[in-house]
Amino acid sequence: MSQTRWLILLLGLAHCWCAASAQDVVLVANKGVQISQISNADLRAIFMGEKTRFADGSRAVPVTLKGGAVHEVFLKNHLDESPGEFRAQWRKEVFTGQGAMPKAFDSESALIEYVAATPGAVGYVSRISPQDKVKCLVAIK
Amino acid sequence: MALFLLVCICTESLFAQSLAGIAVHGFVTQGFLFSSSNNYLTMESSDGSVRWTDGAVNVTDSFADKLRVGIQLHMYQLGQLGGAHLLIDWASGDYRFNDHFGIRAGKVKTPLGLFNDSQDVDAVFLWILLPQGAYPIDNEGFFLSQWGGEVYGGVPVGGRGGKLLYRAYAGHASLDLHGGYIKELADYGLAFTSAPGGLIYGGDLRWETPLRGLTFGSSALVDTLDGSAPGGSVHVPPSFVNAEYAQFSRGKFYFAGEYRRQPTLSTVTIGPMAFSNPVDERVWYAMGSYRVTEKIQLGSYYSHFLDKAGYMGQPGDYSKDWVVSGRYDFNAHFYGKIEDHFLHGNGIGFYDSTNPNGLTPNSRMLAAKIGFSF
Repeated sequence: MSQTRWLILLLGLAHCWCAASAQDVVLVANKGVQISQISNADLRAIFMGEKTRFADGSRAVPVTLKGGAVHEVFLKNHLDESPGEFRAQWRKEVFTGQGAMPKAFDSESALIEYVAATPGAVGYVSRISPQDKVKCLVAIK
Repeated sequence: MALFLLVCICTESLFAQSLAGIAVHGFVTQGFLFSSSNNYLTMESSDGSVRWTDGAVNVTDSFADKLRVGIQLHMYQLGQLGGAHLLIDWASGDYRFNDHFGIRAGKVKTPLGLFNDSQDVDAVFLWILLPQGAYPIDNEGFFLSQWGGEVYGGVPVGGRGGKLLYRAYAGHASLDLHGGYIKELADYGLAFTSAPGGLIYGGDLRWETPLRGLTFGSSALVDTLDGSAPGGSVHVPPSFVNAEYAQFSRGKFYFAGEYRRQPTLSTVTIGPMAFSNPVDERVWYAMGSYRVTEKIQLGSYYSHFLDKAGYMGQPGDYSKDWVVSGRYDFNAHFYGKIEDHFLHGNGIGFYDSTNPNGLTPNSRMLAAKIGFSF
């Protein structure tokens, strides 16, 4: 097998590893983020504004999609929240001066671009390609 | 109504703007109130009234990793209260040292019970009117926020004991010069030109139990009040207010309850006459709601208020309110609400000036509201 074929196979495997299953999303983070896995409890705390740091103490910058199926699946599977509850919780934080809502994006490509350029950024998409300059995080129960 | 339309139009292109770290958010609501007999909350509600508009806009910026600053401006019209006066709802710098400890300074929202600091944010609630004994919409100004500072944070309780969240604060709070208390005093001939205020300090401790969604909490505060007007003054010595509460939120269900006690001894001086007014307010409520679909939420609560000081069993000594509510979210920004109140007693929310022929002991109210937030 030529080197090119090996490369294609490796890229394909990497792609499969980071692709979302039908029921879940791919967690993505800036390449500077040192951790490779994250508990759902930490994900929930970070995305609900209760924590501002990853388990290793580095800064976490959560980002979300504005809506859609991928957003709903992420909230349900990893935060155990509905979009309405998530929105209401953040509205309360924002309008009482206690927190700043995570930056939200219209498209997955815009979200990936922001995560790639922002130290500590963490978000989710339906799938990533090998060209995306982000890393995948594994969610653990 | 005009304010509601103006904000909706102007903000269509502003939708939660985030410009290089600066975030802009806002909301506006328009309400309608119709009551079977008594006029409520200074509105001519027995004829049906739409004099109920509320709006706010805030700007926040994260200057550094741990530092965030922001300000929220608020304007409201509630019957004869409020008007074209821009209020600073909160304006603070927030430095979060870590996830266990942070400080805020400036004008900071006051935590008391479940909803005190968020009571003016209509968009987060199913209810149009929160239990009025604890969160009177015509007098929300004094406890809502204070100029000073607070420390806040959270600490885990053992390995699996949940989490304790704390807030402690001290500062200066003042009455809303266009709110209900000032109007009542003006009706007695005491017209304040500057808002009475005083020292306020206290704290809130809430335990997020290991059972996700179940929270218990307790708040306490001490406040004082002094003010002078042409022809008189008002004085309230240090008063202790406490609130105990619990809430459970899981999936489509939400349940909450709270008890609050608020004894106050105010002295109002008008000319050579001094009037002492002892009040011992006891309030409790229980509420529950169910999210039928992502867009539809239904719920009900019972709210019980009575003034124990000099209680004679008269309708003016108590207020018992059965409430049924519904909310429909048209999309992530627009929503509508409708609510029916079955009121027994007239201890809160009714003003002599808008009820010159007296009050009936019981009344029924229909409230409706539309809101927009971004």
